[in-house]
Amino acid sequence: MVTHAADRPRDSRPAAGDRAATDRRLGYLLVAPVVILLLAVTALPLISNVWNSLHSDNLSLAGQPHKFLGVSNYSTMFTSPLWTAALERTLAFTVITVIFDMVVALALALMLNRKFRGRGVLRAAILVPWAVPTVVSATLWKTMFDPRAGFVDYFLGAVHPAWSSLTWLNASVWRSWVVIFTADSWKNIPFVAIILLAGLQVIPNEIYEAARVDGASAWQTFRRLTLPMLKPALMVALIFRTLQALLVFDIIYIMTGGGPGNSTETLSFLNFYTFINNTDFGLGGAISVMLVVLALIVSWGYVRVFRTST
Amino acid sequence: MRLAASNRRHRVLIAVVPVTGLALGLAACSGSSSVKPVAAKAKQTIVFAEAGLGTEGQQTQKAINAFMAANPNITVKIDVLSPDSTTYLSQLEHSFIAGATTPDVFETDVTYPAKFAKAGWVLNLSKFSPNMSQFFPHEVAAGTYLGAPYAVPWFDNPEGLYYRTDLIKTAPTSPAQVVADAQAALKKDHSLKEGLAFEGSKYEGAITAFLTIDSAFGGKLDPSNIDTAGNKAALTWLSDTIYKYHIAPTAVTGWTEGNVESEFVSGHAAFSINYPFVESLATSPPVKGHVGYIPFPAGPGGTPGSALGGEMLAINSKTAHSAAAWKLIEYLTSPAVETARAEATGDPPSLPSAYTPALYAKAPYFQNVKTLNNYSAPRPVSPNYLQVSSDLQVMLSEVFANTKSPAAALAAAAPTIKNDAGGTP
Repeated sequence: MVTHAADRPRDSRPAAGDRAATDRRLGYLLVAPVVILLLAVTALPLISNVWNSLHSDNLSLAGQPHKFLGVSNYSTMFTSPLWTAALERTLAFTVITVIFDMVVALALALMLNRKFRGRGVLRAAILVPWAVPTVVSATLWKTMFDPRAGFVDYFLGAVHPAWSSLTWLNASVWRSWVVIFTADSWKNIPFVAIILLAGLQVIPNEIYEAARVDGASAWQTFRRLTLPMLKPALMVALIFRTLQALLVFDIIYIMTGGGPGNSTETLSFLNFYTFINNTDFGLGGAISVMLVVLALIVSWGYVRVFRTST
Repeated sequence: MRLAASNRRHRVLIAVVPVTGLALGLAACSGSSSVKPVAAKAKQTIVFAEAGLGTEGQQTQKAINAFMAANPNITVKIDVLSPDSTTYLSQLEHSFIAGATTPDVFETDVTYPAKFAKAGWVLNLSKFSPNMSQFFPHEVAAGTYLGAPYAVPWFDNPEGLYYRTDLIKTAPTSPAQVVADAQAALKKDHSLKEGLAFEGSKYEGAITAFLTIDSAFGGKLDPSNIDTAGNKAALTWLSDTIYKYHIAPTAVTGWTEGNVESEFVSGHAAFSINYPFVESLATSPPVKGHVGYIPFPAGPGGTPGSALGGEMLAINSKTAHSAAAWKLIEYLTSPAVETARAEATGDPPSLPSAYTPALYAKAPYFQNVKTLNNYSAPRPVSPNYLQVSSDLQVMLSEVFANTKSPAAALAAAAPTIKNDAGGTP
């Protein structure tokens, strides 16, 4: 028997509406514990941090009033030569390391996208550096560049005896940065490469075949087909990698402690010292807020640029 | 209408849930406790926080077992925190900031008491009328803030100059002679890799290495005036050991006390600047039986140098068990217990009376350690020492890497250090 719409009870719509509302309420109730937990561990610290950044709040000075300072901590931060120098270093590090890592990772991804014997093993193997915790990889690289026990000087000494006595970390600014870049890229290139490889694999083979039939060269295929179709993956990789580079801390903390002098101190390093060493939650809070703002600006910039170009 | 009402309810729910969450969170975080003092003779449990692992931890446990046997009404629970000094400090600070009543009593580095005292985290020990004159005076000074004692010396680590007695027959009597002896030793023994090893990495140890030699040149680590002729001479000497005299390698810029110890103990260094623990580790040739340990010899206008390191004991200002905690401190810092600790762990006693003939018979090097204790200078006693320490580390790192001259580094760091050490005492 077929039931026509006209035969359905007239009050069936409100009943469905009630059920939907009940379902929604139940839904809210079910997610409420997680929402509360997330708010407690993310929103509360974030709000508290912004609040602290507007106050005088040094935890080592018990009894000192939690005095409202307005934007005083922000003006202290912006006028500090340490902030300016750390910002310059962080931006320079980010630009260089992101460009280098993206280029190398793209080459690696293109290579891994080709068919060859042992491709599966190699794909799994390149992820190993990324899986190693940064503290461990930084300590490993520090040991490898040790002038007495490291293999780097051993091999350099074979090329030129004078190079075997080079002290890489904390004895020279540029050599310290070279080691930091090396260790950082070694760890992060595989991560970017895997994202790009995933992007390459969703590009249909047919368009390459069509390009071949049309007589496109390898460079033209890469420039006109691969790169445009890889844009979504490139954007994800760029955002992740840039944010990682902007917030770089652990590798520098382990390898140089910010030295020589403070020539390898980045914004996160400055933030760590202000918070943990000086227990200044007011100024430290201001630096944290600016780091978040910086990260948001970068992400927004990327999204805008990529959206426009697509 | 219903939809509007439903939306309003949802909005209310959306607003109420986070507010309730925040309120619950805040309620969970805020705890208040009223402290009612518990008499020492009452039955009670106290918590003792320490960083000791291995032999040190075992010896502390042994001493505390003996204390509990002698005081059956007091149970002591040991809370072993991180052996890493920065993490240890953070752990303590987190407890204090949260207003925790435990640990009731704890171990503290010699550079922390002023900071803890200013923050109101540790108890003024004057009420127990402690006999501070029985300890080495320099470590007592490290635990004194605004004239009041806040920490009691537990063990005392004076940093000094090690030298190989088989290569250097007479102990040097001036900085210039250290250089000459190191150069001569390098020429004579080709198994040596350097004349002098010291802690030049960017960390606290670089400050103690500098402090060890500072007074020998008439210098003083006074944060209000660091740019002095004495400090400049001392810093220039250290820099020159790398870049002018070539008796120290540039590798020192990455060395901590562990690296320096390994260089000396393995026979690679003729001289080294380090803590007393190295003496007990020099047990293999070519170093075994050939270790001299002296204060850094004075130059013109200076006095022999040594830097104070070590650990102290303090009481949480929020504890209700201060009487029992004090009893434990008195026990742990009694001469017999300190001597036993020195014999078992090599931790140098903070009491001159604990340096007994029996201790010398077992470990003769403690005679040298006792001598050094008479010279050891504390680092600046300031509640803002950690900030001052950061500034000093940057300055020393710049000089050791040769990116700034000693004079330029001192001149640049002086106003920052003065400012960071300032504020209300």
